[in-house]
Amino acid sequence: MEKGRWWGRGQKTRNNVRASSGQAMPWAGDLVERKNKQRVLILSSRGVTMRHRHLLQDLYSMMPHSRKEAKLDTKTKLYQLNELAELYNCNNVLFFEARKGKDLYAWMSKAPNGPTVKMHLQNLHTMEELNFIGNCLKGSRPILSFDAAFEKEAHLRVIKELLTHIFGVPKTSRKVKPFVDHVMAFTIADGKIWTRVYQINESEVGKKKPAADGEEMDVDPAPKKKGGKPEYDVSLVEIGPRFVLTPIVIQESSFGGPIIYENKEFVSPNQIRSDLRRAKAGKYNRRTEAMTENKIKRGELGLTTHGGRKKEKDPLSDSVLFA
Amino acid sequence: MPKKGVLKSALDAHKNRNYKLERQRKQEKAARKRKQAAEPLNEDGESGEEGGVQLKEPVNVKDNGEKKSKANGTKASKASKASKNEPEWETEESESGSDDEDVPDETALGLARLDDSESDISGDDSEEEAEDDEEDEAEEEEDIALSDIESLASEDKGDIIPHQRLTINNTTALTAAVNRIQLPYAKLAFSEHMSVTTDEPVEIEDVEDDLNRELAFYKQALSTVKDARTLLKKEGAPFSRPADYFAEMVKSDEHMGKIKQKLIDDAAGKKAAAEARKQRDLKKFGKQVQVAKLQERAKEKKDTMEKINILKRKRSGADVTNTNEEDLFDVELDNTETSGDRRRGGSDGKNFKRSKKNEKYGFGGKKRHAKSNDAMSSADGRDFSHKKMKGKTGAAQRPGKARRMKSR
Repeated sequence: MEKGRWWGRGQKTRNNVRASSGQAMPWAGDLVERKNKQRVLILSSRGVTMRHRHLLQDLYSMMPHSRKEAKLDTKTKLYQLNELAELYNCNNVLFFEARKGKDLYAWMSKAPNGPTVKMHLQNLHTMEELNFIGNCLKGSRPILSFDAAFEKEAHLRVIKELLTHIFGVPKTSRKVKPFVDHVMAFTIADGKIWTRVYQINESEVGKKKPAADGEEMDVDPAPKKKGGKPEYDVSLVEIGPRFVLTPIVIQESSFGGPIIYENKEFVSPNQIRSDLRRAKAGKYNRRTEAMTENKIKRGELGLTTHGGRKKEKDPLSDSVLFA
Repeated sequence: MPKKGVLKSALDAHKNRNYKLERQRKQEKAARKRKQAAEPLNEDGESGEEGGVQLKEPVNVKDNGEKKSKANGTKASKASKASKNEPEWETEESESGSDDEDVPDETALGLARLDDSESDISGDDSEEEAEDDEEDEAEEEEDIALSDIESLASEDKGDIIPHQRLTINNTTALTAAVNRIQLPYAKLAFSEHMSVTTDEPVEIEDVEDDLNRELAFYKQALSTVKDARTLLKKEGAPFSRPADYFAEMVKSDEHMGKIKQKLIDDAAGKKAAAEARKQRDLKKFGKQVQVAKLQERAKEKKDTMEKINILKRKRSGADVTNTNEEDLFDVELDNTETSGDRRRGGSDGKNFKRSKKNEKYGFGGKKRHAKSNDAMSSADGRDFSHKKMKGKTGAAQRPGKARRMKSR
């Protein structure tokens, strides 16, 4: 029964199916009944910058199954998001937490009972600033393209599943358009998840006449009497936005619960910044240190006027000889 | 700072041990405090043991082995440190009770414990991990904590290995989580989820290399799109957008216009730059050509003048020039002669003199002031002769009387 969570509000339907078919296993039915129902609550914390907000807007425009909410006031009581999600009948939460007005963290969660992934969002470029010529229908469903590396490790599998739920637009979504014209690619490189969005461009190869496929009818009103295979060249044009996610922590339940994964390699941006500052400060410190050491050394050798050892009296100096 | 540096250099060899001692003392102190706060009853029994703790920490770790094996490395390093001292004063049967009474530091640990025990239930392999982590912790005693290193400059800490955060990777819990939320892909039509995974992992050698990295992303997306396309077609789901299907796009027309404008501007800028460069090159080259042409012309003129002069000298100097020279220049001289003839005769049979005269005295054109001096002519001193100016030329005509008498 717990497997049926992804059904969303399909409780009644499921009961009906069971009642009508009389089967013990609710999964033994036909494919038609299976529905992927996802709704995403998408919101940010306070203190996001313009770029963060635009990214949110970009994602929202590409996710017809999402619900945008006002900025969340708190950054500590994130469990409130669960209530919010329940209020809006959402079973996924995509939450952007901004810190210090520059760092952005993305939380992805399955709303009622987890898991939750916290990721650091870097290299953010919104659609507006990228000037890519790609474009797609508002509300069309994306193909989700995953790197095979996602299957290699357990935590990546969790992340992949969450990404599928959040960014994959379900067929039954309200404002959905019936065509597929863009692809969302997630690739793992350097321990980070790189995200790109491309438009799918189909162009005919040569002047061959396309076949009379059902869906091809819509595509091309050109004559297609012959039963040859359609020769289409697929190319991609980037749409934007671009961003890179670094997984930090995975919690077992939604915005709470035990931590089941923690990324050792993640260095917080604060640490990086302070290291940079410290490296600068270190230069001065080392110089001063060297100077003091030098002074002490000279003092020990009796070369200084003040402090340190006194200069040995020369037995041949005038003051000794003619005393 | 300087003092520390000197110290550091002086005590470099012994640093590790000293540091350890210091920390142990700190921990003892903390433990003692906690003990006093929590259980004043146990005090007498434990104080003897405290002494034992001081110098042989690794032994302690082994003593507590059966307890520690429960921790599967999910604790933060701080919590793990505390846990080593904890069993010394904590009685076995009152573990949960003492956790409740502890100071806030300890409650965190208690939580970690609870979590651990929970995850223990989920799998066996976590216990193996625990042992590994325990060894790691023992090793890490030698290291310096990250917080202590922070005060050093980055150059100074080059060869010091800091504590690494203990990574938590509870595979069983993660797998359970995946199984809990996973869509039943096998039973779903592809058009329901539309997620494709590549067969081969994408490999990018250098992440900083923008071009190759983006190419790898593009290739991955393209291959999956092709797969997805065939799958969708097989299921009969609509894929491509018909040309006459208009709907709102993600990027508005305004935005697209902006992009188009940007592209046009870019292209125009590029074209203008290319044009400018071409012009620049041309100018540079043109100047060279001009200079070369001028030089050539000057040289030509010089040559002709020389030849004319030689010719003149030959004619007027009454064969002063030796025959050799003449032979040498024979052909050219002929050439010059012919050219001179041509000039004299006019190019089309007209009288050269006549044409010159026409030029000077006018055959048409302004006739006034033509003979009057101008700046050039008055500055021209070629015809000037001081002898002529003396006026003695006529006086010498008639010789003296004696000469005349003599000649008679």
